[in-house]
Amino acid sequence: MTSPGRPVPLPDARSQPFWDAAAEHRLVLARCARCEQLCHPPDAACRHCGSTDPDFSYVPVEGGGTIRSWTVIRQSFLQGFDVPFVLVDVELAVQPDLRLIGRLVDGPDAPRSLGAPVRLAFEDVAPGVAVPAFALEAAS
Amino acid sequence: MTGRMASSNAVAVVGYAHSPVCRHAASTLGAVTVETARAAIADAGLTVPDVDGFVTASMFPTAGAHAAVDGISLVSSNWLAAHLGVNPRYAAGFSGFGQLPGSVAMAVNAVASGAADYVLVHRALHNPSGTYHANPMTQAAGDQQWTVPQGYFGPLAMVALPYTEYVERYGATREAMAAVVVEARKNGARIPWSHWHGSPLSVDEYLSEPLLSDPICRLDCDIPVDGVACFVLTSATRARDLPHKPVYVAGYASGSPVRHRLPLHWPLDDIMEVGRETARRLWESAGIGPREIDLPQLYDGFSPFVYFWMESLSLCPPGEAHRMILEGGIDSDRPDAVPVLSGGGALGNGRMHGVPQMLECYLQLSGRAGDRQRPGATIGLACHSSPHFGGAVVYSAEPY
Repeated sequence: MTSPGRPVPLPDARSQPFWDAAAEHRLVLARCARCEQLCHPPDAACRHCGSTDPDFSYVPVEGGGTIRSWTVIRQSFLQGFDVPFVLVDVELAVQPDLRLIGRLVDGPDAPRSLGAPVRLAFEDVAPGVAVPAFALEAAS
Repeated sequence: MTGRMASSNAVAVVGYAHSPVCRHAASTLGAVTVETARAAIADAGLTVPDVDGFVTASMFPTAGAHAAVDGISLVSSNWLAAHLGVNPRYAAGFSGFGQLPGSVAMAVNAVASGAADYVLVHRALHNPSGTYHANPMTQAAGDQQWTVPQGYFGPLAMVALPYTEYVERYGATREAMAAVVVEARKNGARIPWSHWHGSPLSVDEYLSEPLLSDPICRLDCDIPVDGVACFVLTSATRARDLPHKPVYVAGYASGSPVRHRLPLHWPLDDIMEVGRETARRLWESAGIGPREIDLPQLYDGFSPFVYFWMESLSLCPPGEAHRMILEGGIDSDRPDAVPVLSGGGALGNGRMHGVPQMLECYLQLSGRAGDRQRPGATIGLACHSSPHFGGAVVYSAEPY
C-alpha cells in the first residue's frame, strides 16, 4: 500500500484562478475592483473597503517577501508530510501586512531570522497540483 | 457601551461542582454533566426546578475529524436542561472564543435583565478516543484550502508562530517557559480533582522534552481530558439567602480582531494590539485597574498565552513576562509574587478551557479553597483563550 499523499486543495469558484495559476508555478492574488487592494484569502466582502461586490480579479504577484515568523513541524497532524519541515509566515513585499504561509524549501537546518528575505517557490504535490512555498533569498 | 458595567457586582456566583478530570471517563459526557449540574445546584442550596437559565459554550475544541454529538462529545444548554427535566425560560450558547468568560457574560446579562433568576453555566469537555488533533483529510476545502496544503494546520503551529516571534524579539529562553509549566503543574498537583494531582513536573523534565512544533513541546499543551464544571449564578439580592458566600461579577470583556488573516494565523502583533483593547474594556467594565487585581488567573491552554496575557493585562511591561517569571515573579508560594497560575491552570488540571481560572477565583474569593486558601484575596480575574480572541471576567469577594 502506498503512503497517502498530502491533502490537496479543493478549489471553489472563488479560488479556482489561484490554484490554476499555482499549478503553473505562478502566484496570482485576488484584487478588489473597488479599492484595488489585494485580499488573501478572498472573502465574501472586501476586508479592506467593505465592498460586498468586490468583483475580484486575479493579478500576478512576484511573491517575494520577508519572514515574520516560523515553526519547525516535527509531528504532523496531517498525512503525507515528511517531518521535520519548516513553515514560514511571510509578509509579501507587494502590499503591507499581506501574509502567506508556506513551507521553507531550504529545510530545517537553514538559518532563519525575522525579516530575512525570501522568494516564492512552488511544491508539486500531485499531478496538476502545486502549492506556494518559499526559499531563502541568500540560499540560491 | 462605555463606562462601568451597569450590572457590576449585581450578579454573583453562588455555587459550583466539578467532576473528576480524567483521560477517559467511565460514563458518557452527558451523564457526567447531568450529575455535575445536580451537584452544583445542590451546592448552591437550590433544587433543580429553581434553575430557569442555562448557558454554555459547547464547542468541541479539536482539529481532528471527530464527530460533534450532543451528549457525547459536547453538551449544549438545551441538552442539559432537557436531561434535568427543566423547561428553561432562558437557554443559550456562546459561539465566540473565550468560551467560559463569554458564557459568564451571557449569564450575568440574563440575571441582570430578569430573563432568568438562577442560571447554570456549564462547560463539558471531551477527550475522544484516538489522536486528538490528527486529521486524515485528503482534500482541503473552504478556508482550509489556503493553509492545509502547505502543512499549516492545528493549534500547535498556530501558537508556535507568535511564540517564535516572542522568543526572537525578546530573547525568551526555554528555561523561562519551563518555569511557567512547572508552576502550573506544581499547583495542579495540589488539586484533588486534577488529572495531574500528585504529579508535579521538574524543570529538567520540561527541558528534556522534544519539540513538536518549534518552540512548542508536548508539555506546553494542556492534556485532553473528560471533565465537567458547573457554576450557579443569581442576583446579589437572592444570593444573600443562599448558603455560600457569593462571589460577585464585577465586569467582563472580550474582543475579536478585525484584521483579515489566514485561518489559524495569529501574529504576535494582533494578539497584543487587540489584547490590550480587551484589557482596557475589562478595566472600564469593572471600574478598576490591574493594580487592584490580587488574584489574576491567566489562561494557559498553550503556555505562551501566559506571556501574552501578562503583558496584555499590564501585569508587566511588554516583552518582560519571561524575565519576571524566571525571577520567580509568578511563584504562588512567594508572598511578593503575582500568583497567575495558583489554580493550576489548564496545564496543571487538564484541557478544561478556562474552568480552572474561574474556579480558582470562585474558591479563593468565597473562602472555599480549603488547604489552598490564600489569605487576602479580594479581586480575581479569570481569562480564557488568546488575549485577541478571548475574554476575561473580574470577580470580587465584596461589592464595591
